[in-house]
Amino acid sequence: MDLISNLTLGFATAGTPENLLFCLIGVILGTLIGVLPGIGATATIAMLLPITFQLEPVSSLIMLAGIYYGAQYGGSTTAILINMPGESSSAVTAIDGYQMARKGKAGTALAVAALGSFFAGTVATLLVAIFAPPLTIIALKFGAAEYFSLMLLGLVSAIALAHGSILKALAMVVLGLLLGMVGTDIYTGTPRFTFGITAYADGLNFVALAVGVFGIAEILKNLEGDQDRSVLTTKLGSLWPSRLDLRRMVAPMLRGTALGSALGILPGGGAILASFASYTVEKRLSKTPEEFGHGAIEGVAGPESANNAGAQTSFIPLLTLGIPANPVMALMVGAMIIQGVVPGPNVAAEQPALFWGIIASMWIGNLMLIVLNLPLIGLWVKLLKVPYHILFPVIMAFCSIGVYSVNVNVYDLYAVAGFGLMGYVLMKLRCEPAPLLLGFVLGPMLEENLRRAMILGRGDPTTFLTRPISATLLVMTLIVLVVVLLPQVRKKRAEVFSESD
Amino acid sequence: MNTINKTDAVAGILFILIGLAFGAQSLGMELGTSLRMGPGYFPLVLAGILILLGGCILASSFKSIDEEMTAHAWRGMMFILPAPIFFGLTVRGLGFVPSIFFTTLIAALASLKMKPLAALLLSVGVTIFCTLVFSYALGLPFRRFGPWLSFLGM
Amino acid sequence: MAFTLKFAGALAGSVLLASAAMAQGYPDRSISMVVPFAAGGPTDTVARLVAEKMSADLGQQVIVENVGGAGGTLGAGNVAAAEADGYTILLHHIGMATSATLYRNLAYKPLEAFEYVGLVTEVPMTIVARKDFEPADMAALVTYVKANADTLTMANAGIGAASHLCGMLFMQALEAPIVTVPYKGTGPAMTDLLGGQVDLMCDQTTNTTEQIKGGTIKGYAVTSPARLDIFPDLPTVGEAGLGSMEVGIWHGVYAPKGTPAEAVERLTASLQVALADPGIATAMAELGTAPSPAADVTPAALQAKLEGEIARWKPIIEAAGVYAD
Repeated sequence: MDLISNLTLGFATAGTPENLLFCLIGVILGTLIGVLPGIGATATIAMLLPITFQLEPVSSLIMLAGIYYGAQYGGSTTAILINMPGESSSAVTAIDGYQMARKGKAGTALAVAALGSFFAGTVATLLVAIFAPPLTIIALKFGAAEYFSLMLLGLVSAIALAHGSILKALAMVVLGLLLGMVGTDIYTGTPRFTFGITAYADGLNFVALAVGVFGIAEILKNLEGDQDRSVLTTKLGSLWPSRLDLRRMVAPMLRGTALGSALGILPGGGAILASFASYTVEKRLSKTPEEFGHGAIEGVAGPESANNAGAQTSFIPLLTLGIPANPVMALMVGAMIIQGVVPGPNVAAEQPALFWGIIASMWIGNLMLIVLNLPLIGLWVKLLKVPYHILFPVIMAFCSIGVYSVNVNVYDLYAVAGFGLMGYVLMKLRCEPAPLLLGFVLGPMLEENLRRAMILGRGDPTTFLTRPISATLLVMTLIVLVVVLLPQVRKKRAEVFSESD
Repeated sequence: MNTINKTDAVAGILFILIGLAFGAQSLGMELGTSLRMGPGYFPLVLAGILILLGGCILASSFKSIDEEMTAHAWRGMMFILPAPIFFGLTVRGLGFVPSIFFTTLIAALASLKMKPLAALLLSVGVTIFCTLVFSYALGLPFRRFGPWLSFLGM
Repeated sequence: MAFTLKFAGALAGSVLLASAAMAQGYPDRSISMVVPFAAGGPTDTVARLVAEKMSADLGQQVIVENVGGAGGTLGAGNVAAAEADGYTILLHHIGMATSATLYRNLAYKPLEAFEYVGLVTEVPMTIVARKDFEPADMAALVTYVKANADTLTMANAGIGAASHLCGMLFMQALEAPIVTVPYKGTGPAMTDLLGGQVDLMCDQTTNTTEQIKGGTIKGYAVTSPARLDIFPDLPTVGEAGLGSMEVGIWHGVYAPKGTPAEAVERLTASLQVALADPGIATAMAELGTAPSPAADVTPAALQAKLEGEIARWKPIIEAAGVYAD
């Protein structure tokens, strides 16, 4: 069988002592830098990328892939421990992960995240190896109309991210969409809402927004009343997930993996939706949806699996078409070109060792990640015992460096302060930041694809309904809207008569 | 139960104001038509929805119970928020090392529990760690000591 | 391992630096080469290739610093405002010339804010279409586009991008007002071309070579004055009677105005050494381009190029009426 011989070649390439070492270094470095508060995967990779340029092509890419997984896991760790997500995906993990940490279950949350990621990574890697070419064909069927409908579906799902008022959640989504509009309009070149500051011409920096509305707002909240409290509200519980915890995470993990794998294939931003979508699904299917937002284990297991599966399958467009699906992939393309490997549709045929080596190293990287991180959980959790008044100045220093290093743009730092204030005020008003973040990442894509679909469809709005994939997605949007809204409305009615939380 | 939920009322008004601000700016841009949207079209629609949602939140505030608001973190805001701004203003001029030192020090002042000496020690520690990791080990292209300090002969 | 090596090297370097700072001439510390685009892009690739070879020649690290944003004007603005001590330089492409017209309120004057070091390379462009596009060759394409202009769509990677500039030239040369579909970057634009969602594009060989070779898109012509070795079958635009479309994405190295003459001279000399390196030629050939000939790696050649290109693009951009500010 081809697959067997290909995988053998892959493991032979990735399994040389040298490449294993680089993979390990990548995973370690990615984790160590990514775990620094305020420094997410994007910043980590931007910082570590130049190190990989000096290596052989295969080693360089293997190490970069290791950094990528390590940084992602490191990012989830800070999201769980101190509510400081550096990526849109870990923003979802932060919702319930941080609440688990406050309840003394940080170890469980971290272990669940690691196990879920590993499982999802293994399955998605296999998918990449077996189905990459046919999946690419499906991905190419997605045009502007399809992406618009998909984004709409994602937005509707965002309602489930909130555990408080649904109206406020919707308002936060819309506010996020508006913040996403800041920057130069790509169709006309008109600067929008930039206050004449050229530094914001490419839009507001996501890392600045996430660090501000999640991390800094949380720090301010903890400093309220001049008596800083620690992150922990109860005693530190067991480090490891209990048998019950494990049983509870199986189904969300499976569903998250399926969702993430499917969405990750789409190069136009599907992977971004993966963790959000998984959270919505889990909350809908849960028998105890009221636990979500207060430390539900499913709210960590599902999104983390979805996220890692999506991260894996988003390699498919890169490997089969040579087209990067996200900024991290763009960095990998850059690394390939610098190594003299120009990625394109023929990479698999012309450079089989490289192609299969990367696929094999994906799995090896995930394996190393879990072997490395499970023992480290105890160490990370101890961080929670550091007195808060020592922890937060350190966080501020790291997140200043992290935000600055993404684009070397000092205005991003001013934005952090602004978003910190905004996030704090909104938190005081009981508005939750996660829907805002989803709106922010989806806003530009929603508008871009809407306008592009109208241009390509010659101004005919029925283009969304006459294209079958788009129409299907729109029908799904309607169904989700009904399914999500109905119980909320009923609950709201009940709440008016009883006591609110 | 005819009290006003102040939290919701303020939130509603805030969303309406933000919506108005974005809406007013959008009107200054080319709107285009539904079929050929200009840069102002989509933001204007969003601003309208935000105003509408703000209105609903405001309206609902009259029907629910008031909730107590926790204390405000004035001291936190006074020191935490300026920290990244200070870093942005000085990282190029002063250079990475002094800039990160003062950034940490400013942030440390936000807590009353932090004694001056402890804050100083913490800032020195963070500075050394960050300089070793980011500047030396990772080789990030930050100048350690910037042009403002050139009179010191560095 | 790379980590520890780098760490040790940096430590050793800084110790050496301190002791030798006064004794040696320029450069006595590392030089920051600003690339006004994100890491991993085609310009960044060129910069990293050049920086590596220049480091070897100068005996000091040339560190690439990516300051992306606003079509390259943020990074260029940073360098224009940087200290003119020879330790901050800029590697920019054709955007240096087009931004002079595309951005009506630039923070710097492109012709006055910089010292010139030299040209680096000129990347040719290719006219491409989705793989099932009807016309069989360039001649057929010209007739087809002229006849069906109002039903066709042409992708570009955003205002001011190479594909946008080439697209403007294409429409101007054919007098065909094709519907333009902008994207955020080359990746999404290429994806839609591969998927057949749009009809045409004109982009750098860096982005199109592998796709044309793989048969996933159709190549029609190259915009260079002569045919390219990698595509002997593709005619030049000149052969197709569209001589006005000849265009290349040229890259140049600049220093802030007022940089000492000896520093600029040293940089030019080093750039010439770097570009003469056989390794660079091989790496650039992979991308469908070549290092600029030594005669062009001079301040005078770069200045002439910039002045000529600003004059060339001004009327084209003004006629299109699209600005990026």
